[in-house]
Amino acid sequence: MRRTGKTLLALAVTAAVFAGLGVTASADYEEGYVFKHGFDLDYPPYSYIDDNGEVGGFDVEMAKAVCELYGWEYEAVPFNWDAKDAELNAGSCDCIWSGFTMNGREDDYLWSKPYSDNTQMILVQKDSGIATLADLAGKTVGVQTSTSAYDLLNDEEGQKALCDTFASLEVYETYTIAFNDLKAGAVDALAIDVTSGNFLMSGETDYVYLDEALGSEQYGIGFRKDDQELCDKINEALDTLAENGTYDSIGKKYPEIYDYLCLNKGEAADAESTAAAESTAETESTAEAESTAE
Amino acid sequence: MDFSTMLSTMASGMLKTFGIFALTLIGSLPLGMLVALLRKSRFAPVRALIGAYIAVIRGTPLMLQLLVWYFGPFYLLGWSIRGWRFPALILGFIVNYAAYFAEIYRGGIESIPVGQYEAAEVLGYRKGQAFIRIILPQVIKRIMPSVTNEVITLVKDTSLAFTLAYQEVFSLAKQISASQTSFTPFIIAGVFYFIANYAVAFAMQRIEKALNYYK
Repeated sequence: MRRTGKTLLALAVTAAVFAGLGVTASADYEEGYVFKHGFDLDYPPYSYIDDNGEVGGFDVEMAKAVCELYGWEYEAVPFNWDAKDAELNAGSCDCIWSGFTMNGREDDYLWSKPYSDNTQMILVQKDSGIATLADLAGKTVGVQTSTSAYDLLNDEEGQKALCDTFASLEVYETYTIAFNDLKAGAVDALAIDVTSGNFLMSGETDYVYLDEALGSEQYGIGFRKDDQELCDKINEALDTLAENGTYDSIGKKYPEIYDYLCLNKGEAADAESTAAAESTAETESTAEAESTAE
Repeated sequence: MDFSTMLSTMASGMLKTFGIFALTLIGSLPLGMLVALLRKSRFAPVRALIGAYIAVIRGTPLMLQLLVWYFGPFYLLGWSIRGWRFPALILGFIVNYAAYFAEIYRGGIESIPVGQYEAAEVLGYRKGQAFIRIILPQVIKRIMPSVTNEVITLVKDTSLAFTLAYQEVFSLAKQISASQTSFTPFIIAGVFYFIANYAVAFAMQRIEKALNYYK
């Protein structure tokens, strides 16, 4: 029943996307504008329920900082990740800003500049005897549905060939459950974003990443394709927040991802970011450049 | 997150769950009766329409129906759906549960022997009068166990509200579980659901007993 529901959901969302009815953005991003931040509450530490039971996370704090900068009103729009495109197109939110991978989706959204790097890794038990990707042949590997690690393992140009060597790929609803199965020995390894993996492993010592990465990617903020004005405003705000140190001080609160924040990391990253800002209209070429630069 | 914060956050989700539950019952119990009566209408197109409604509602997942209620106005009509999340959710639940309740009512109504209608007529009752005073009280008694079943299912079905990202107790359990890398929230949710259903079953039992005034 659950599966059927998911398939139907996917169908509905696909139909929705094909319907292609974008909401025309109101061009009024003045003070007092209500900025509707769309995100998934299941994605720590970017967006999640924090220790006080409040909506929080790196992306949420950044979005709030942007709102403060412009005098906008912040509105949280938590959505179901599978329905993100329908939510964005229907205008219930202004953007998807939730640890959202740009790579492979270059043409589907108008992208902000990337603000966080990410790597997909393989997580195993320390004494598992698995040391390289090749060792995964004949093993059971777990992954969370609708994640970039999942996409990568099912992409002919990604790691499909590697995935075919696995005994099976177990697809989980959440990494929490998948990680529990890894602890219990029900799966031999997890394919996971390093940022999510770091979050899961905080306080655990018996697990390690393989040295070889599965792939790498960057996170950006996805806008409706006709929403250039908003995209430009957010890019400007990201620059300002990176310069005035807000980006860094928010990042420090999230040690799991701090090392991956890429807005003002040295000259090279800066040059890339500027390039991204200048050519947001041609997001595809930029994002490709980003991924090859990796 | 300490345990008491977790508990109080989830309790706030449980309140929302209860909101869905109560509003759905308030809407669908009467609407179901209307549907059951219309299904027995003498006017054939109405019967066909109601038949189609019940077939569609019972034949598709509630999850999908909720998505259609929420996104439909935009994708089909181009209307803005801001602020539509909760109304869509409640509408979806009411329309769905009314179909099931209608069938339960119909079963109850059809189980009453035709002789009762005839006797009522002989005694000079008009048709509507006979239905309300004589048939309906018996129907209600007979359908109570099925209604209890459906109401308990509703308590658990409220978790489907996660489809529309409504922050009821199950959505919260999932999210807190992700952020705390722990299964405790699911266990808490389980306990909450169990207590709620226990209360429902208990209340329904009391109502059933109260209705058994001839036994």
